[in-house]
Amino acid sequence: MIKKVSINAIQSLWLPISLVAAWWLFSTNSEDPFFPPLSVIWDQFVLLWVFDNVPIHVVPSLINLFSGFSIGVLIGLVGGVIIGTNQGLARYIEPSVDFIRSIPPVATVPIFIMIFGLNYEMRVAAIAFSAIFPTMLAVIQGMHSNNPTLLDTAKVFRLTPFQTLVRVRIPAAGPIIFSGIQVSLQVAFVVTIASELLGSGFGIGAFTLIATDTFMITDAWTGVILMGILGYLVNLVFNLVERRALRWYLASKKLS
Amino acid sequence: MSTGKVIVSAESVVMDYQTPTGIKHVLNDISFSLLEGEFASIVGPSGVGKTTLLRLLTGLMQPTSGTIRINGEVVTSPPPGLAVVLQDYTRSLMPWLTVEKNISLPLKRLGLSKTEIAETIELVLTEVGLRGNQKNYPWQLSGGMQQRVAIARAIAVRPQLLIMDEPFASVDAQTRFDLEDLVLKVRDDFKITTAMVTHDIDEAVYLSDKVVVLYGSPADVKEIVKVDLPYPRNQVASRGREEFAELRTKIYAQVRGLQ
Repeated sequence: MIKKVSINAIQSLWLPISLVAAWWLFSTNSEDPFFPPLSVIWDQFVLLWVFDNVPIHVVPSLINLFSGFSIGVLIGLVGGVIIGTNQGLARYIEPSVDFIRSIPPVATVPIFIMIFGLNYEMRVAAIAFSAIFPTMLAVIQGMHSNNPTLLDTAKVFRLTPFQTLVRVRIPAAGPIIFSGIQVSLQVAFVVTIASELLGSGFGIGAFTLIATDTFMITDAWTGVILMGILGYLVNLVFNLVERRALRWYLASKKLS
Repeated sequence: MSTGKVIVSAESVVMDYQTPTGIKHVLNDISFSLLEGEFASIVGPSGVGKTTLLRLLTGLMQPTSGTIRINGEVVTSPPPGLAVVLQDYTRSLMPWLTVEKNISLPLKRLGLSKTEIAETIELVLTEVGLRGNQKNYPWQLSGGMQQRVAIARAIAVRPQLLIMDEPFASVDAQTRFDLEDLVLKVRDDFKITTAMVTHDIDEAVYLSDKVVVLYGSPADVKEIVKVDLPYPRNQVASRGREEFAELRTKIYAQVRGLQ
């Protein structure tokens, strides 16, 4: 058991550790103002982010991300179920959905600025909007891929439409839906940062941009590193939730 | 075993499919009936339309012409009092639900209390020999055990009519015998009228009171063979009887078009 854990750890950690070590080594004597030594960046990182600036910059970003992502995924789920369970409706709506989702999410930020102004609502709306489509499309696809035998069984046992949806169709599409939600989360994270680049004094994106503009290059580097760490952690939490929700799926796949 | 009340009747059932290359006639004038408590098998060569007929009986499909009645009512959608056991148990049981949740899902509509549902689950799991497996997931069980869960779920709704589509086609031979005997026992304990599609003629003879032989393209009812093997039946004695051999030879010849 211990042996297996340590092998897993080696497999996943050798590359990041090597990269950080290489960065550390090659930047030690750097005098380029744009590429300060990693040791300097690290000292600054600890100074800034453990934990003095967390309430000002990290908390607002995470609140925006969480609110926008939740609203977007909720709309995506409901919309996806409605469109995915009505073949007729899908034909009228899907082409428009395909068009809207083809717009790079970051490019929609200016539109939300025009609608809401430079404020909290604008950011959450932009994040939510970007999070809708990956989830919605996954739900539609998941509903369409429901196995006919499963649906026949539900019909013969006269399950109510609600039972069929909640107990049969949505769980059956679970694995597809979760991969859609994961894409929503990644897009929402990108838009969270992007939405802070305009007219905001708070948030990691805002902090990093201001640092760059004022030639506080070391600060900017710490912002970039922090974004990486946060993105990784957010994804990690998501994976834990997913693993819990799809336990039946992962375990049944392992057995077969 | 029968009270003489007609549970299922198929009257001049015709089924055509629209395919890209034109109309395919599958069933041509199928008529038969099934009395309360009877066990009927539907046999025939591969592709003859056995499963089509079964889907018509469940109300999942409508015939092109003719009528199917269950309890005297014309079937236009899955009627109350119907349960199914399908060949593909991996797709008919819900892998995200435990055994007990799989069984209770259809029970929730029947207005039973929580205690009654729990008692029913206990009863049917005991009946199929899976007592104590309430909290297991289907995929933690062997194929034969999963099919037992499917049978338990079917009898839990106290169906008037049980429909089985090649229920034992995906399990090994020994399990198959066990499940056949389980079906005989369940039928005896619960007095359920049953229609089963199978391509195993021995199995059809062993389990049935009558065997409906389909043949031709489009298919007709070639013959309805009455099976008079005495009850209780068992794998060794019943299959060893002279009538058994005669019936299987006769049906085999019909399915092969030799008679």
